[in-house]
Amino acid sequence: MKKWQIAVVMLLAAFGSWFGLNTQAQAKTYTIATDTTFAPFEFQAKGGTYKGIDIDILKAIAKKEHINYKLKAISFGAAVQQLSANQVDGVIAGMNITPERKQTFDFSNAYYTSGVVMAVAKGSKIKNFSQLKGKTVALKTGTAGATYAKSIQSKYGFKIKYFNDSNNMYNDVKVGNSAACFEDYPVMSYGIKNGIALKIVSKQYEAGDYGFAVKKGKNAVLLKKFNKGLKAIKADGQYKKIVDKYLHSSESSLTGETASSRTFIGLFTQNLSTIGSGLWMTLELTIISIILATIMGLILGVLGVMPGKLGPAISSTIIYIFRGMPLMVLAFFIYIGFPDLIGHGFKIPAFVAGMITLMLNEGAYTGAFVKGGFQAVDDGQMEAARSLGLPYWTAMRKVIMPQGIRIMIPSFINQFIITLKDTSILSVIGIVELTQTGTLIIARNFEGFKIWLMIAIIYLIIITLLTWLSNWVQRRIN
Amino acid sequence: MAKVVVKDLHKSYGDNEVLKGLNLEVQDNEVVCMIGPSGSGKSTFLRCLNDLEVPTKGQIVISGYDLSDKGTNINLVRENIGMVFQHFNLFPHLTVLQNITLAPIQLKKASKEAAEKTARDLLDTVGLGDKADAMPKSLSGGQKQRVAIARALAMNPKIMLFDEPTSALDPEMVGDVLDVMKDLAAKGMTMIVVTHEMGFAKEVADRVVFMADGLIQETGKPEDVFDHPQSPRLQDFLNKVINV
Repeated sequence: MKKWQIAVVMLLAAFGSWFGLNTQAQAKTYTIATDTTFAPFEFQAKGGTYKGIDIDILKAIAKKEHINYKLKAISFGAAVQQLSANQVDGVIAGMNITPERKQTFDFSNAYYTSGVVMAVAKGSKIKNFSQLKGKTVALKTGTAGATYAKSIQSKYGFKIKYFNDSNNMYNDVKVGNSAACFEDYPVMSYGIKNGIALKIVSKQYEAGDYGFAVKKGKNAVLLKKFNKGLKAIKADGQYKKIVDKYLHSSESSLTGETASSRTFIGLFTQNLSTIGSGLWMTLELTIISIILATIMGLILGVLGVMPGKLGPAISSTIIYIFRGMPLMVLAFFIYIGFPDLIGHGFKIPAFVAGMITLMLNEGAYTGAFVKGGFQAVDDGQMEAARSLGLPYWTAMRKVIMPQGIRIMIPSFINQFIITLKDTSILSVIGIVELTQTGTLIIARNFEGFKIWLMIAIIYLIIITLLTWLSNWVQRRIN
Repeated sequence: MAKVVVKDLHKSYGDNEVLKGLNLEVQDNEVVCMIGPSGSGKSTFLRCLNDLEVPTKGQIVISGYDLSDKGTNINLVRENIGMVFQHFNLFPHLTVLQNITLAPIQLKKASKEAAEKTARDLLDTVGLGDKADAMPKSLSGGQKQRVAIARALAMNPKIMLFDEPTSALDPEMVGDVLDVMKDLAAKGMTMIVVTHEMGFAKEVADRVVFMADGLIQETGKPEDVFDHPQSPRLQDFLNKVINV
């Protein structure tokens, strides 16, 4: 086959699989969100699949009750937000049933009861709450641990620092930035057993129930099936088997990793496919966003230097809004806020939302320097072109733009590099790109230093390649 | 009818009135030189003639087109008015030839081949036949200004406006540019030239206009203006310029 034929076949295959996914969705497939790093309830095993008590219980119940579902692993905070925005059908993520949450969600019967414990660094002398006075305590947002610690904060006089993810919280305690953390007992004990250098120093407080959640008033059928299935797997012993499997075994037997794979190279080869797919996602997002942002930036730049007041006003307003908004806020707004506003079960795929986010943000920055570049072209150029009888747009296209764009090339290169790095922020809306891949891998093997080093090196390599490419283009143009 | 008719022309930037009511007629084939101290409004006046500056008040009629009339297609009028700037304003990203052919080709005045042929002929006329493929930055100031004149002529204009065409040149370059302008005048081009070159004005102009403080103070044949200045302003100006 010739090259173009292969390309056509691949395109058709891509369309095919896309349609395939779509038809599947019509046969009522529920999207169930879960957390990414909450071992032993959920964590990523070798090869990128998810494992854990929640995952296995859901699987067993689904089998019993014939529920079709698609698992979506995102951060806990994002999962809860997406459920309330109707972006997913249910959440199973070691979620405590609380009166506040019952305002927005309907919960299943409790499937696990857990208590909160305090953990400190291995060498720490802290043994009880009163020793926390004036010190900082690390908490993970939205957890029972966080709620409990908040309730005793004024009594014991400590400061609070919030994290989105368990590992970062543990590490903060481990390196001594925070004196202690509060975490659900099974999660903490699992982590410690698997190499986290912390120790539990309190008994279990505030035992709370974990439940499967759907949005209030929605998916009643799903909830009913879940309750029925839960009863069934408790009755036939499957439930006990799942819980025992995770609470009484070490991590490596579950994730399939061996001690020998803990070297830098070993970790790299072990996680090659996970990192590869994250890298691919990062590149895809970067390239598409760069193209879209460049188009948007050029339009904004041209509007910005147009004669009259309207064009410049539109341009500077758009630049003002999207340059002024933190990328993360913009991502949340588009992915969660916007569908919430429209309602009617409107959903935006995370990838599309991520792309739009980057386009608007990077496009605004691009617009600003494109406008500047055009303005940097001497006024005499436009005057000379116009005095020859050339209409405004011809003068713009033939005289101003070619000169302006040359001035802008270094800014474009800079913006491309920024775009690449900014893709990492999109992990907050559940896009599993390179950075998120790192978080997921560390969530199961706790090899923070080696994995982050690996991720950092990969970013530097791509940025180096991008810089070379840009320099080559710059030489060609000049 | 006169080629250029200007009636009661005013131009203000905010509170600063630069032109305070000018009246001028320029006939076909006439060469008018405008002299006067810096800040007198000469350049602003010239830039009003092809609408680079929009007058605050007054009327300008060029070859029968009224510039203040909203229905006038300014691009069409500009095709008939060539403008040469003090700082040349060549397009730095285009070769000399492309600088000259850009407008004729874009405005479909000529095919690419015809436009290039005309451009080469014009370059020969200004003495730069060998520079067609050079980039502007490789040229001297005098050469740049001659290319700029050729570029303006490529549109086959009926009137040429020169805005201090030799002020940014090294003294030894001035002669070449003035020679090209003299040739043009000899061929019967209607020209309005803002200049500090009194020698050129004396030799080439049919009429000299002296401007100061946003008004035309005195106007007449070169020999009258230079040898028998009437107003004290002009006498003072000529004393300063000639006795340098």
